[in-house]
Amino acid sequence: MTVTRREMLAATAAALAAPLVASGAAKAAEAASATGVAPKFFTAPEFALLDELSDLIIPTDAHSPGARAAGVAAYIDFRLSESLEPEQQTRWRAGLAAVDALSQELNGKAFMQGTAEQRVAVLTRMAAGEHDPKTPADHFFQELKHWSARAYYTSKIGIHVDQQYKGNVYQRGDYAGYDAK
Amino acid sequence: MTLLKSAPPLSQDVDLSKTYDAVVVGSGAAGGMAAHVLTSQGMDVLMLEAGKKLPIEQELRSMQWPYDHPRRGDAPPGYHSLSFNEYNIRTPPYAKGSTFKHVMSYVGGWGGSDYVKNILVDEKDHPYTGTKYAWVRARALGGKTNIWGRLALRLSDYDFKAKTHDGYGDDWPISYADIEPYYDRVDRYLGISGVKENLPHLPDSLFQRPNKLTFGEVKLREGLKKMGRVLTPYRAGVTTDGLKHNKYRSKCYGRGACDRRPGGCDIHAAFDSPTGLIYPAMDTGHLTIRTNSIAHEVLVDKNTGKARGIGFIDSATRKSYEAKAKVVIVAASTLESARLLLLSRSPQHPNGIGNSSGHVGHNFCEHVMGPGVSGLVKELVGKPPTLDDGRPGGFYIPRFRNLKDRQPGFVRGYGFEGGGGFSIFPGNAMGTPGFGAQFKKDVRDHAGAFIGMGGFGEVLARYENYMDLDPDEKDAWGIPTLRFHYQFGDNERKMCEDMVAAGREMFEEAGIEVVGTDSQMLTEGWSIHELGTARMGNDPKTSVVNQFQQSHDVKNLFVVDGSTHVSASCQNPTWTIMALAWRSCEYLASEFKKGNV
Repeated sequence: MTVTRREMLAATAAALAAPLVASGAAKAAEAASATGVAPKFFTAPEFALLDELSDLIIPTDAHSPGARAAGVAAYIDFRLSESLEPEQQTRWRAGLAAVDALSQELNGKAFMQGTAEQRVAVLTRMAAGEHDPKTPADHFFQELKHWSARAYYTSKIGIHVDQQYKGNVYQRGDYAGYDAK
Repeated sequence: MTLLKSAPPLSQDVDLSKTYDAVVVGSGAAGGMAAHVLTSQGMDVLMLEAGKKLPIEQELRSMQWPYDHPRRGDAPPGYHSLSFNEYNIRTPPYAKGSTFKHVMSYVGGWGGSDYVKNILVDEKDHPYTGTKYAWVRARALGGKTNIWGRLALRLSDYDFKAKTHDGYGDDWPISYADIEPYYDRVDRYLGISGVKENLPHLPDSLFQRPNKLTFGEVKLREGLKKMGRVLTPYRAGVTTDGLKHNKYRSKCYGRGACDRRPGGCDIHAAFDSPTGLIYPAMDTGHLTIRTNSIAHEVLVDKNTGKARGIGFIDSATRKSYEAKAKVVIVAASTLESARLLLLSRSPQHPNGIGNSSGHVGHNFCEHVMGPGVSGLVKELVGKPPTLDDGRPGGFYIPRFRNLKDRQPGFVRGYGFEGGGGFSIFPGNAMGTPGFGAQFKKDVRDHAGAFIGMGGFGEVLARYENYMDLDPDEKDAWGIPTLRFHYQFGDNERKMCEDMVAAGREMFEEAGIEVVGTDSQMLTEGWSIHELGTARMGNDPKTSVVNQFQQSHDVKNLFVVDGSTHVSASCQNPTWTIMALAWRSCEYLASEFKKGNV
């Protein structure tokens, strides 16, 4: 058997193909999320709220699709669904409730009933306590953002379209980079 | 060349009625080297490994994309990795009372715990007691070489003759000239990449082609030149040009997974003991391996007091066995080797075999780490991504303290390990404030612009830093566990303060904006470079083994791992462990043939 030449080619091809697949991913993933697979842990309203929050944290812009397209909420939902730490599950449920409570306080209505500006206002208030979290909503923002970033930047869209990551490939010739002179 | 993907099969039935020329306890860097050298000299060797033989390529899956893994590399529910806080707030045994099904050392907490969950030991089965200590253990064929950090450095006479240089501690019973030919052999046999720098305190190896530097690393290298210091590409125990004599290892293709995860290389370009040493040794026909074999006693001949073999327990069946051999070679890692010696009490050796000096377990040393600096290379902000992490490591800055100068606060020195540039996960996402389009753009624009490094400093060998056997606590197989009496001292604290100041100064000199410093020392043990618990020396009253790692007390007992190091130096120990083991086993084979052991 030779050095896995076949595997090498396969791996390289997969790496090259991935960005191509992913660049059309905005539409593809939106279509996928629109298919509305039932959440495993959250209720449908909770899931919709999480999906919206993650997409406000990492939105689609001219450069790349955002958290919704990357399936961030579905990933968080899956991890929580199999979690063996009840307090972690409770924390997320309570966190989403705290978002709605803050929205009621600021806008007099639940988060998802708010306008785009009103939603951003709620998140802005939560983010203000990012470096010194005090309220439940502050703490939840930290965890929500951490997990959203973790899920987004490990997704196909995050790695290939947003970051345009060049590695995890076989370098057959000279290595990339600069010589130490 | 042809690369054999499949390892030679391990024999199903190991003949324990036979007396082997040598039995080797442990299959990591030291045990693997012992097997290589002794079998190449025609000796019949039995190797005992406490762990399993894993289908390692399936464990490591080096090229798997995060999104192709259901948990993006994380282990399934039920696994927990110990955190810095747990190590510091609680006391060992850390897994006691844990509600998690499996508890791993902190290494499992790096991205990619699913890839190491079967390599690291489950802390629940392997408790220890005493002072806080982050003990990382791998029980599997190859031990920690399956996931080691790959930084492969030589020691120099600044280390071997450290006492002569600064008056502290003890010199080694060897000098650089004694070990240099063996470093050369390790380089040629296993492959190492790097750049020659002609430094007296960090001798060059016989390098294959080096890894490259990133833009920020070149900038730092240039800055350091002005200060008379050196930044060199990571000296990696990785074959970058390939090894014609080894059919189990591919050359490095710069895939870089080894540096994005806790380690491991599924094409074995990075050295690991099974493909680098053990499988070729099996091909000689002189090596037999028994895995799942937990050694708990060096057996002693009642008449001669010499070693006659190893008592061990099968980890799966829990049955006890004896392996008989003319020579016993202990290579179970610094702490496990000392534990085995201490466990081996007999009328002839009441304090444990080879321990008439009372030094087994003492002079325990390692590297202190934690302090470091991170910086921003402004020229890179907003620049398009480049391939920066297809490497086994970034850079190394060799020691620069207490060579010609004398630092007022501390003796000895430290080096820095670091790296800069794009990686598969933009770590800055976690520290970038805010949310929304601006957050996303900030993360993108700065992702490749950071550079960071952390110090690795010499922890002084002190007699009063030691480990012994806990009188009560036992592991899952009923074997007494280790108890730690070990902590950093003032020299380490002063050195760590200097790391932060010196790191900042170097970044500033290079025109790199310092964006963060870390002054926290990580828990004792964190470097996974434990050393010194059965040290070498010329005096049987103050050392455990001689310069050939042969027990002063029992001449057919050798201890060939890091436990024999007299001082820690600040260089990573794996290459030195292997060079010493090569030298000692060559001596042993020659004495064996003469009938002198």
